[in-house]
Amino acid sequence: MEVFHLVLRNLLARPVRSLLTLLGVLIATASMVLFLSFGEGLRRALFQELSRVGPAIQVVPEGAEGFAFSAYPEITPEALRALEEAGKALGVKALIPTLLLARGGFDPKTGFFFQGLPPGVSPSLLYPGLRVRESRLLPSAQGAVAGAKIAQRGGLTLGSPLRLSPKVALKVEGILEESGGLADNLLFAPLPALQAVLGTKNVGAVLVALRPGQKAEEVARALEGAVPGLKAQTTGEVMRFAERALRISDLVRFGISLVALVVGGLLVANTVMMSVYERTREFGVMRALGARRGFIFRLVVLEALFLALLGGVGGLLLGSLASAAINLYTLKEVGLALSAITPRLALFALGVALGLGILAGLFPAQQASRLPVVEALGRV
Amino acid sequence: MLRAENLTKRYRQGDKEVVALLGFTHAFPQGATAVVGPSGSGKTTLLNLLAGLDLPTEGGVYLGEIPLHRLSEDERAGVRLRHMGFVFQQWNLIPTLTAWENVAFPLLLAGWPLGKRRARALELLEGVGLLKRAHHLPSRLSGGEQQRVALARALALDPPILFADEPTGNLDAEAKEQVAALLFKAGKERTLILVTHDLELARRAERILHLKGGRLLWEEVPSPNP
Ligand SMILES: Nc1ncnc2c1ncn2[C@@H]1O[C@H](COP(=O)(O)OP(=O)(O)O)[C@@H](O)[C@H]1O
Ligand SMILES: [Mg+2]
Repeated sequence: MEVFHLVLRNLLARPVRSLLTLLGVLIATASMVLFLSFGEGLRRALFQELSRVGPAIQVVPEGAEGFAFSAYPEITPEALRALEEAGKALGVKALIPTLLLARGGFDPKTGFFFQGLPPGVSPSLLYPGLRVRESRLLPSAQGAVAGAKIAQRGGLTLGSPLRLSPKVALKVEGILEESGGLADNLLFAPLPALQAVLGTKNVGAVLVALRPGQKAEEVARALEGAVPGLKAQTTGEVMRFAERALRISDLVRFGISLVALVVGGLLVANTVMMSVYERTREFGVMRALGARRGFIFRLVVLEALFLALLGGVGGLLLGSLASAAINLYTLKEVGLALSAITPRLALFALGVALGLGILAGLFPAQQASRLPVVEALGRV
Repeated sequence: MLRAENLTKRYRQGDKEVVALLGFTHAFPQGATAVVGPSGSGKTTLLNLLAGLDLPTEGGVYLGEIPLHRLSEDERAGVRLRHMGFVFQQWNLIPTLTAWENVAFPLLLAGWPLGKRRARALELLEGVGLLKRAHHLPSRLSGGEQQRVALARALALDPPILFADEPTGNLDAEAKEQVAALLFKAGKERTLILVTHDLELARRAERILHLKGGRLLWEEVPSPNP
């Protein structure tokens, strides 16, 4: 604590330089935090969503692992029939063919995502806990049911027309309560209507709901064996797949922010090195008075550490602010919090700042404490 | 008692060898001993060796029974802290610390708690007539005031040995007299080793060692001032 007081005095004696260095570290940390927060946000949204999904297995064409909803539907009626038979033989609870259709471009303001469901299948089978706010949960052959957020964004009310193609038009027949999940941003429509829009009899994916006690992995492997060319993924597999992809993107984003971090570290090293050089005589006097070399070493390392940690904490705060601002925007636009500052991200950021401080301080500290006393005293 | 035995310091400069001090043997009793000599005669070298700031090429320094030259860097730092005080020619003070904090610095190193440090520092500043300046930074003190703060700091842990290297070298007559008076007063019951080329100042010491070319020429006991 006492040495820390000396450190503080020295930093405050050169306020502009200290502040600039602090800002450098702060911005570097903030940019890293923000970059990494997107991975954390995606991860959180994804896992929340997946844990909410009812069916435990999702069957997609091979090579379309992960989230291939928006791809052109490739599962043929024959493959679907074979799948249904295999499913019956395995005793699964339900097989739900589905497909996802985007309309109106990718701008979330004007874009609509339709999920097709076979007649008679309720959206709440896919997203358990879904409740109706207005009218009905199950759309008729010419109707669609809108999630809470998409209804609000698109200004949809009961009876609003939805023109999917020159030939196919649906009417909004029900509006759902907000669930906090993906369903809020979807329009549920009859599968045949969506197939008509695309001019196909294919479906994009088949969701498989299991009976209690059935093992997802085993059923998935059996389904794959029964119908070649399809891939059956359990929720766990999807999570692992997503986790792998996210980790790679984490690495890439960390790599990008590393540039800023290295610059921040060099800033600290430069500041501390300069202050060490300017204080050579001062250190000489301290040692003549009886300070041991470790005392000088600590003085210098602490200075670097303090700059880096303060910058790190500030960067974390700034990054959190920016993350909150981005979420405010994305929540409004796409109904999803894209960025998340998780405790482990905060810890990681502080750890990086700490490591930066130590790295930046070690060399100047070594220099300062190694110099022979008489030489240090000789330099004014 | 501080004792030097056959103290020798050689510096190597390229392929030339500079003998800064040669075979210096002397025992420093209590009271003020001035070391005088022309520039380059080895005065600062001698002080550095006696204080354990530097190591001799040959010979040794003994503080009582302790062979200073055989101790490690950090051990010598410990000896300096507890047994020696320093006043240099200039830039004595830590520029970011106030007067009282400078005085309290050795106490900090010795592990004193804050309250005791402050009380002791203020008491010492009062002793050199600078209580009113306690909260000033060195940059706001005059040269003479800075040297008095440095002297107060040298006395913080009440060391038996006091070193001063040209302590009045940069001062005007009035400030010089103030510092000299305080210095010799503090040196009375201590071993004061005062390095200077100012003969007038040296004559106020009890003994004068004359150095030349790194050798001790002779020891003079000055006649008391008329
Ligand atoms: N670090 C050093 N390297 C080389 N020569 C030195 C060094 N320090 C002192 N000297 C030489 O040693 C001699 C004595 O120097 P010094 O003790 O500083 O003398 P004084 O203090 O009496 O002026 C001088 O000739 C000086 O040039
Ligand atoms: Mg000298």
